[in-house]
Amino acid sequence: MINMPDLTEEQRKEFEEKLKNMSPEELNQFQKEQCIFCQIISGKVPSKKVYDDNKCMAILDINPATRGHILILPKEHYSIMPQVPEEVVSHMFLVAKAFSQVLLKKLKSSGTNIFIANGLIAGQKAQHFMIHLIPRKEDDQLLNLEEKFIEPEMVKKVKVAVENKLNELLGIKKVIVEESQLEEGKEEKKDKTDKVKNKKNIDETNQDEESDSENQKENEEEEDDDEEETTENDDVEDDEEKNKKDEDQTDINLDDIANLFK
Amino acid sequence: MKCEYCEIADLQSKAEIIYEDDEVIAAIKDVVATPGQITVFPKEHFTILEMVPNKIVKKCADIANKIGIAVFESLGAQGTNIIIQNGLAAGQSVPHFAIEIIPRREGDGINLQWQPQQIPEDEMERAFFEIKEEGDKIKNFDDKEVKENEIAVDDGDTKMVMKKNKSDKDNYLLKSLKKIP
Repeated sequence: MINMPDLTEEQRKEFEEKLKNMSPEELNQFQKEQCIFCQIISGKVPSKKVYDDNKCMAILDINPATRGHILILPKEHYSIMPQVPEEVVSHMFLVAKAFSQVLLKKLKSSGTNIFIANGLIAGQKAQHFMIHLIPRKEDDQLLNLEEKFIEPEMVKKVKVAVENKLNELLGIKKVIVEESQLEEGKEEKKDKTDKVKNKKNIDETNQDEESDSENQKENEEEEDDDEEETTENDDVEDDEEKNKKDEDQTDINLDDIANLFK
Repeated sequence: MKCEYCEIADLQSKAEIIYEDDEVIAAIKDVVATPGQITVFPKEHFTILEMVPNKIVKKCADIANKIGIAVFESLGAQGTNIIIQNGLAAGQSVPHFAIEIIPRREGDGINLQWQPQQIPEDEMERAFFEIKEEGDKIKNFDDKEVKENEIAVDDGDTKMVMKKNKSDKDNYLLKSLKKIP
């Protein structure tokens, strides 16, 4: 929800009315005006720009996870990855690859993370899609993924649900049905689709008040999430100290990084 | 010991495969951060991103993007994280380049937030110049791709390939010239 404490109820209603009457183009324009990264791209807001081409731009993050943290941004405004055209996504990954190499060689990082967050729940902070490229050192305790064992039944369920949708997206005509779940699975799948439908309905009804209908869910959770973030941040200790220690200038090349596994 | 992902690609076992073509595989492993996590990786063994040819990086990114959309729609995810762990220090556990797609839901217990670091201005400036210097070199990104293809060809054919690329480029220039009214 748009939070505007300075406006009176009347002004707020007027504003919502205005948004409601906007065409998709106008809405897009409005979004752009509100987006700090669009202003960085257009040069209205200064940034540490390290790369620029006709599809994307790379800048240094002003709130970096580590020194050398790079953001790769599409020039057009998209909120989340599913909205970004195929060729732009793959181009951005190639730029990320090129800069990953730069970080390994120039900043003597011992590894890099490519990180994308789609949605507030996933940790997305700005309404402009971006690829984070984060140089890593040993023991800097970032982006820890704790892995656990998943029951084979669950794996099968995921397979059925995702593979069918993926085939649909790729234009492959093949429907996967898990035998053991023929009875049970049908109901569950129905439940799931219902949920998705419900979600869509919510989206539609609230669309007009929002600057971005795609990110409806995220916006609803904005406030709670912000609170969470602050508490979570307190949990992450020692990062800074450890990172500062890791300033040793040993010469690392790509093969060394690959050979660490052997 | 064989690489875990090569084993998945060769034996079609140890994981459920949801997509496969000549170059790329998408699989659901049984040890993951959250149910619904999907791993996309090239069939051929490359340890880290820098070793993967651009063409295959593009394909992996494309499939990962499609799976991201599929996950949103089919699992009712409220968000997704797409992560590449490149190198041991970055948390890479299998020595085979991969993209992880992680569906996110409220209360899933995954914390991928980081504490922004206060880096002194001169340190930032130094990093900026070091990176920018290299960034300028990759300005002509598509041209660089062509060069990489040339290197892949053995010496005898290089000239021919270069010629071919040149004529391609000429054609492209001609085409764009024709577009100008």
